[in-house]
Amino acid sequence: MNPNKDALWYKDAIIYQVHVRTFHDSNADGIGDFLGLEEKLDYLKELGVTAIWLMPFAPSPLRDDGYDISDYNSVHPSYGTLADFRKVLDSAHQRDIRVIVEMVLNHTSDQHPWFQEARSSQNNPRRDWYVWSDTDNRYNGTRIIFLDTEKSNWAWDPTSKSFYWHRFFSHQPDLNYDNPEVREQMWEVMKFWLEMGVDGFRLDAVPYLVEREGTNCENLPETHNILKELRRKLDEHFPGRMLLAEANQWPADLRPYFGDADEFHMAFHFPLMPRMFMGLKLEDRKPITEILQQTPEIPPSCQWSLFLRNHDELTLEMVTDLERDYMYDMYAQDKTMRLNLGIRRRLAPLLNNDRRRIELMNSMLMSLPGTPIIYYGDEIGMGDNISLGDRNGVRTPMQWSGGWNAGFSTADPERLYAPIIHDPVYGYPAVNVASQRESEHSLFQWMRRLIAVRKSSAVFGRGSIEFLYPANHRILAYWRRLGNETVLIVNNLSNAAQAVELDLGRYKGNVLIEMFGNNLFPRVRDLPYLLTLGPYQSYWFRLRRV
Amino acid sequence: MREMIISELSQAVHDLARGFAHYLPRLIVMLVIACVGWLIAYVVKVILRSILRLVKFDRLAENAGASQMLSKVALPSATEVLSRFVFWLTWLGFLLLGVSVLGILGLQEQTARFFLFLPRLFAAMLILFFGLLAAGFAARAALLAAVNANVPSPKLLSLAVRSIILVFVLSVVFEELGVAEQTMLVAFGIAFGALMLGLAIAFGLGGRHMARRFLEEKFVRVRKEQDEDELSPL
Amino acid sequence: MEEENFLTDDFLRQLIDVGEADILVGLPTHNNAKSIGAIVQTIRNGILRSFPRERAVIINADGGSRDGTRELITGLSISDVRPVSGVYALRTLHAISTQYATTPRNSDALRTILSAAELLRVKACIVISPESEAITPEWISSLIRPVYYENFDLVAPTYCRHKFDGLLTTNLLYPMVRALYGARIREAYMSEFGFSGRLGSQFLGQNQWRDAIGENGTELRLMLAAVTGGFRICQSFLGKKDPVERRAADLVPTLRQSVGVLFSALESDFAAWSAISGSQDVPTNGNDPEVLLDPLRVNRKRLREMFVKGVSDLESVFQSILTPSTLADLNRIATLDEEQFNYPAELWVKTVYEFAAAYRKSVINRDHIIQALAPLFRGRVFTFIVENRNGSANDVAKNIEGLCLEFERLKPYLLDIWKSKE
Repeated sequence: MNPNKDALWYKDAIIYQVHVRTFHDSNADGIGDFLGLEEKLDYLKELGVTAIWLMPFAPSPLRDDGYDISDYNSVHPSYGTLADFRKVLDSAHQRDIRVIVEMVLNHTSDQHPWFQEARSSQNNPRRDWYVWSDTDNRYNGTRIIFLDTEKSNWAWDPTSKSFYWHRFFSHQPDLNYDNPEVREQMWEVMKFWLEMGVDGFRLDAVPYLVEREGTNCENLPETHNILKELRRKLDEHFPGRMLLAEANQWPADLRPYFGDADEFHMAFHFPLMPRMFMGLKLEDRKPITEILQQTPEIPPSCQWSLFLRNHDELTLEMVTDLERDYMYDMYAQDKTMRLNLGIRRRLAPLLNNDRRRIELMNSMLMSLPGTPIIYYGDEIGMGDNISLGDRNGVRTPMQWSGGWNAGFSTADPERLYAPIIHDPVYGYPAVNVASQRESEHSLFQWMRRLIAVRKSSAVFGRGSIEFLYPANHRILAYWRRLGNETVLIVNNLSNAAQAVELDLGRYKGNVLIEMFGNNLFPRVRDLPYLLTLGPYQSYWFRLRRV
Repeated sequence: MREMIISELSQAVHDLARGFAHYLPRLIVMLVIACVGWLIAYVVKVILRSILRLVKFDRLAENAGASQMLSKVALPSATEVLSRFVFWLTWLGFLLLGVSVLGILGLQEQTARFFLFLPRLFAAMLILFFGLLAAGFAARAALLAAVNANVPSPKLLSLAVRSIILVFVLSVVFEELGVAEQTMLVAFGIAFGALMLGLAIAFGLGGRHMARRFLEEKFVRVRKEQDEDELSPL
Repeated sequence: MEEENFLTDDFLRQLIDVGEADILVGLPTHNNAKSIGAIVQTIRNGILRSFPRERAVIINADGGSRDGTRELITGLSISDVRPVSGVYALRTLHAISTQYATTPRNSDALRTILSAAELLRVKACIVISPESEAITPEWISSLIRPVYYENFDLVAPTYCRHKFDGLLTTNLLYPMVRALYGARIREAYMSEFGFSGRLGSQFLGQNQWRDAIGENGTELRLMLAAVTGGFRICQSFLGKKDPVERRAADLVPTLRQSVGVLFSALESDFAAWSAISGSQDVPTNGNDPEVLLDPLRVNRKRLREMFVKGVSDLESVFQSILTPSTLADLNRIATLDEEQFNYPAELWVKTVYEFAAAYRKSVINRDHIIQALAPLFRGRVFTFIVENRNGSANDVAKNIEGLCLEFERLKPYLLDIWKSKE
């Protein structure tokens, strides 16, 4: 695959987020691996995805699901070898699927040799690779991210008798980016993977790279400079590769991460996601339209990344207290579901396994401006296991079939890295890829068609968005335009049938063509266009002047 | 000579008997018609009374104030009055019919004229009746309005209203009856005009302050002292 | 249902766009542009503060305003079309308006609001008078909470008012409703109140109200319907009530829409109220109603004069309405001078009851009966003012309580004259 072919490939991509460990086990050790993933690439091709984002697979004590890395230039032995990984890369590229991997820049595991050296003595050459302090009241006032487990951003190191800085778990000491050696080293790490052929990086926890006294230690200009430097080097040596920012911030604070198209290519639109769930429960489009109205313009080559759920909790950091309480009461009445200012449930359980709601949310995901990311398992409507601690409830083995270990592994069930979900509603006999492939009306087949329709037009990935504001507040409607092509999306956020009159005046004379069935709908005339929608229904119309 | 008297007498008696015999059947018919008429009128009266009782005509009349008026002139209830009136009307009609059967020439003409006059009499009575009602109602309405608006001498105002309406009604009644039409017309004109003029002078001269204040209030919205002290009832 | 034809097509379309709602705030208006902006903002704040998650809608029933009242109200809706600075809301808050007629008629306004409430399947509804400039955001909570959370059907207001404010209510409406219907509802004539969707639908469907459509005073009928229908009623303390500017000429229309409505309701509700004896307290939320005691200038002399003149001028009218003994008593009082003038409670009660009976029998035109009551009421006001001139809040309360007990004591008297055919 020639990476230079389409520098903006990420704008049209359909990304599939998956952890190697959870997907497929090829060597019967109960843990998913690269070769297992490689075997299932045809499935992903069938679904229609064009890129996969692999969660961290580097060697790690696995105390934070792999985000605590102890060796940047290798893969965790449970998942295979570097050669296995290369195989995955090649097979994916053959199927026109790009591969995005994680790059955890901000911190390492405390088991990483670098930290072992740094902590051994105050004079160690690597000492300055981390952030040390004699007291724990530097950078006072910086918020704690893992509220449920950490009491402070400083941890005491008994070996060197001083505090070290960590924005996440205490076993994940932050690297010191004021140190040019650190910066140089991290670029070398990235180069290692780029040369192997990965198409992009998701840079984890980028707002926290640099600390300064008297600030909240997030989004500092120094951080941006470091990132711009990385981008410059990337563009110079590896054009066509992509950087995706993970920064859970308000849209206005996210904007700097795109720079002048000289920083990140993509960033997650975190604030939109909880508002989509909120709008659904309120049966009111207001939260969704307002956040998108407040979303700043980004450079033409940049792209938002949209998602419904991911491996973390459904974060409610970027909402008001009123909204958070509402979301908790509506979506997580059971307090065990709440974690770190978020809700740790999968998509289907959040939506009460209501097929129509699942379709609506996915339809919005695929039609709002940005690149959609599908969390593995959500395409078949997998459930979650709350009794697994932390966020592991949403990271259970992929359910391939109704057979042994759901087709995930041939090992003994007790050896699996996590139990497979087997309740009557979401369990693998009920929810699995094999049976959904057979059934014409399964969620999987519906997702396939949805993705196919999305891919049929570039307007979704690259076009502009303009909202219509019909008086019926339960209807979310917007135009997507690119050049001469115009698409109208109409969504009914309520669970009752609705009638809505849309002002399509500009497009008088056009005929509407519904994009899933390709049937004609009446011509637009002077009067407002009357549409009726069933519960949670969405319409995608292409406008054509006949 | 005696024979002449006897023959004249017998001739006269004979003529009388013949005349009698000529008119007797008609008389009998007239009496029959009268009796039948009475029966029919009675039945009609009973039916009408029942109907009026059913629709609670008395109540309606009370509401309009008619009952008071009737009791003032010592008449029974409205239902009763109306039923009896209809009874008499019907019977009278039959009686007159009977009289016409008698065939007495002059009488027939008079009867016809009387029949023609009847509707106008009826109309006039109606006008008078309703006119009296209206006068009473309007007088009371004016009285109440004047008392509540604190207008000086409300009784006088009420009387004036009643008089005006009565004068008007009487004029219309007389015109309807055709009694001294022209005289009534002129008299009405004079009386009405004089009344109006009198009122205009009285109110105009006497009430010019009030008129001014009224206008000021409407167009300048100056609150009067007494209104400042008015309380809010609800 | 007749209701859909009563509402205009345009309004119906707006209702469709609003969809089902939980809370409805009804605002009848007519040329209230001066005050309505602040009132609606307060209402909005109240909703956002106390019911941020509920689907709420403000509905304005306008009687032909020409000063931009309607636009002021609809401009205060909260939606994503126009971001509202400084106001944060979870949901869209619709504010829609309809003109039900070109001249204001409160009964039509209320009917519009009730119809809308029924169509939108609203759980709790409140009506706010556009003259209530003293409104605070807590009013919303006070009027809705009992309906929304405690299953009450009617929430009547209580206020902090001047002792001489609202004398028709204290001297006639409150005691009479209390004595006859058995419910101690302090503000019998409610300018703002809350009610449940249940009560609203029931009331809309009642035939008696349909017959009386067009007359004012529907709030009173609604309250009486709630009492006779066995609905759960409570009172909530709201706060200060602004005294409304009233002129002397307004007494008769006020009597029409309050006393007139009460008298005609007595007729249809006879079966209900004749069986009740005594009265019950109604649950009350919030503070007890306060009485303000600041000195108020009142033209007492004029009140007495109007009474005296009324008694003499309307002699003929009173003869049809009152019993001879009552009339004689009134004549006697009319001869008293200002120092000794006293319209005692018992006589007042008898007067009112005889008027009610006369009204029922329509001894003369009913509207005239109501008009005739005005001068007598003024005389009663005089006595009330004199009696409570220097009283404390407690004294005033006792005085009113005494009057109420008098009304209750003489209820059999009313039943007597009610049944007798004159």
